[in-house]
Amino acid sequence: MQATKPTVGIFGLTGCAGDQLVILNCEDELLSLVDVVDIRDFLMAASGGDEFSTLDIAFVEGAVMTRRDEEKLQRIRRRAKALVAIGTCALQGGVPAMADGLDWPSAVRDVYGPEGDGFDALPARALHECVEVDFSLPGCPIEKHEFLGAVADLLNGNPPQLPTYAVCTECKMRECDCLLVDQGRFCHGPLTRAGCRARCPSYAVPCVGCRGPVPDPNLGSAMDVYTSKGWSPEEVVQRLRTFGPLPTPVPAGEAA
Amino acid sequence: MGHHHPGSVSPLRTLTAAVRHHRDRNVGPVKTVKLPRRKLDFFASVLQRFGELHAPVARNGHFVFQRVRRWSEARLEYTRTELPPKKYFLPPRETLFRFTPGKGYVPESEDLDRRIVLLGVHACDIYSLNILDLVFNGKYPDPYYQTRRRNIALIGVDCIPDQRCFCRSMRADTVEQGFDLFFYDIGDYYLTLVGTALGDDMVLAAGELFESVTPDDVAEYKRRSQERHQRFQLDVEIRDLPEIFEMEYGSEIWEELGAKCLSCGSCSMVCPTCYCYDVADETQLGSTAGRRVRTWDSCLFATHAAVAGGENFRHSRASRVKFRFYHKQRGFVAEYGRPSCVGCGRCSAVCPVGIDIIEVINRLRGVEYAETEHAATR
Repeated sequence: MQATKPTVGIFGLTGCAGDQLVILNCEDELLSLVDVVDIRDFLMAASGGDEFSTLDIAFVEGAVMTRRDEEKLQRIRRRAKALVAIGTCALQGGVPAMADGLDWPSAVRDVYGPEGDGFDALPARALHECVEVDFSLPGCPIEKHEFLGAVADLLNGNPPQLPTYAVCTECKMRECDCLLVDQGRFCHGPLTRAGCRARCPSYAVPCVGCRGPVPDPNLGSAMDVYTSKGWSPEEVVQRLRTFGPLPTPVPAGEAA
Repeated sequence: MGHHHPGSVSPLRTLTAAVRHHRDRNVGPVKTVKLPRRKLDFFASVLQRFGELHAPVARNGHFVFQRVRRWSEARLEYTRTELPPKKYFLPPRETLFRFTPGKGYVPESEDLDRRIVLLGVHACDIYSLNILDLVFNGKYPDPYYQTRRRNIALIGVDCIPDQRCFCRSMRADTVEQGFDLFFYDIGDYYLTLVGTALGDDMVLAAGELFESVTPDDVAEYKRRSQERHQRFQLDVEIRDLPEIFEMEYGSEIWEELGAKCLSCGSCSMVCPTCYCYDVADETQLGSTAGRRVRTWDSCLFATHAAVAGGENFRHSRASRVKFRFYHKQRGFVAEYGRPSCVGCGRCSAVCPVGIDIIEVINRLRGVEYAETEHAATR
């Protein structure tokens, strides 16, 4: 009876499960969703999922931070025709990847003491660093409308349509006050991928870059902007790394 | 990538037919009257009969055009709004039509029928709409734009230039057409130019509110007009600019601007004459039915000139920045006889890296960036 519906699995690795929550929070659309897809494996919604069936689409959130994560991801990859990374941790490591560049064993020991030595904890990796990823939905967490749009697109055999321009574009469309230019606050808008419809700036909260960088961020020039407003280069780098590793910005004049 | 040219919208017969009856907005001023300033609020209530009243209002120290429910919210002494009135005629995001395979499509027209009176539009912004008319009422008519143009009345108001205004240089500091009424502040009164039959209807509907103009009023108008003309702090020469752009195609300035530009798109969004848009189909869950949506686009985006096969005509940031300047100051002149820039100053005001159009033009011309010099020498 359900054999013809595309099969879907929704999974979480190391993360806060916020992206899976967004899916469960699609309350008005959940019935339409299960009407058109057969959700086989979604532990957060129901135990007793089918762990072995092939999946037309697998949505995976979270970063790879343990051996177990890595094995789980590889099993999902083997089952799935299309693997979709959802959320910033899955796309680029997310907040745990802030530790990028630290000496990992001593960082673990600093936090957990000697007991840390026994932990199965690895530096955060994005899904694409471990397996082939077909599509990505950015966000911390993902946007409901982008998830539902992506499902609709994928069921029609199309790649999800997502904006690749910066948050500033959506911010200007909404006529929000510019927190960077007019208020001199540290706003990641010019470097961050849009799709959130500038939610934070619309509440006068500067963008923190949770959706990750635009595909071609001009880090050199952005560094000049931020430092000219009084932030030190070290602080700029720290802030830009909140949601994952970025290439170290260099002033525009020194760019290759 | 979707379309970027206004001609690529499928023709919508019903809307186009309606547009054929489009009232000619291009009649010159037919008469001049005056409105006592203290009766403006009363006139605003009269205008409600002609549509929803929208005007500039203050929002956190900025100004935006939006619906006013109480006239006291309106701020006619504003400098510039965040977005120009373009947003009323070409919204940032709009559904063009809904489609169902096998059944065809239904144009989205609900919002198009809204009658709006936009009160308090500056000359440069009215000028920019006249420029958009060249594009959307030209070779490839856009029924959505045209229908809104027909349903939205424009009442202009004069202004005092600030440190970013250079509309005088762009010959857009006054408009002869494109408004239904235009208010000039002459102290206790607004000298009112009537631009269209609709504007005349508004004056007539106001009954005794408007008064006849006296020679003293005209003298006061002229005095203020001259004073305003001299208050511009910025000046830029646009004579032979297209030729200079042509000669400076290989200038190093484009690489410099490319290194600075963040491609954030802010300048294009706030520009009253940037009209590029992207068109995409959004399908419903589990269906091939859906809607076609048009969204503002920008030539500064890497995707703007990307084509099938993965090629990109303007892959480098420098080539995209250059393209934006060339389209405004050179390409548009070749096509329509004038630059599409009106000198509103919004792009320079919002640019996070401080790219300033006056500075760019002056550097290309080889003249110093001489703020206020022109005004000071008078």
